[in-house]
Amino acid sequence: MFIIKCPFCGEREQSEFKAGGEAHIIRPKQPTELSDDQWAEYLFMRKNIKGIQFERWNHVHGCRKWFNVVRDTSNDEIKAVYKMGEKPPVQ
Amino acid sequence: MLNYNQALPEKKTFQDLHMEEIKPIMKLIIRGKKREFISAVGKSLNILLPTESNTSTQSDKLTALWLSPDEWMIFSNEPVDENTNNYETEELLKNKISKINLGAITDVSDQFVTIKLKGDKIYELFQTGSPFNFNDFKYKKGAVTQTILQKIDIIVHNQDKNVANLFVRRSFSQHLFSWMSDAASRL
Repeated sequence: MFIIKCPFCGEREQSEFKAGGEAHIIRPKQPTELSDDQWAEYLFMRKNIKGIQFERWNHVHGCRKWFNVVRDTSNDEIKAVYKMGEKPPVQ
Repeated sequence: MLNYNQALPEKKTFQDLHMEEIKPIMKLIIRGKKREFISAVGKSLNILLPTESNTSTQSDKLTALWLSPDEWMIFSNEPVDENTNNYETEELLKNKISKINLGAITDVSDQFVTIKLKGDKIYELFQTGSPFNFNDFKYKKGAVTQTILQKIDIIVHNQDKNVANLFVRRSFSQHLFSWMSDAASRL
């Protein structure tokens, strides 16, 4: 359990949010030209690192907006929160 | 409102806490992003939409709640006529907003049930089932939040000292109300 600062509503408890997986995955420009392996790589393969991870979250029981979170997966410390479309903060 | 069935026929009064459904209340969800949208709503209803998060504004007849950067709920301060489903406010907004594609107007009068709570112990009751921090909220008149109470999505509006409006989706209302009655009896 931890607290996330929604960029729209302010600090809220984690149970109000839904995790949306890894952030900044770019959809291939020409999906038809990819092999099955490459397509599977884009669709399913996600990093699962111990440490700093870039994630998408949705404030599903609040303003229902998506945003990005930089979280340390080892201790759930939130390093930064930024809106969709904004550049991720440099480490 | 035609064929109106009351969701919560009971009123509950406890020491320092009274809660009951008030109905029928007109409620509209309005959505739009453009600045023209906000000013068009303001001009047609004579109410300034709150742009600061978790706040609300009030006019003689209506209250506007901030729900999200592009979403507001407008509700009537007093119950409306029971014998009709047409609302002047909705018609007005449809003509001034929807028809020229400035934004969207949705009638949610029957989707949400309004529960009015009065008394000293409103936030003590909420604290027993919600992860939201009500410490600052309870002293801020006009504050609004969307959060969860006993896993149910709710909208809370701090109308005045010791008066709060709670909006809950109709299908959850009976369960929530019975939980609230139970929780309030143990405060």
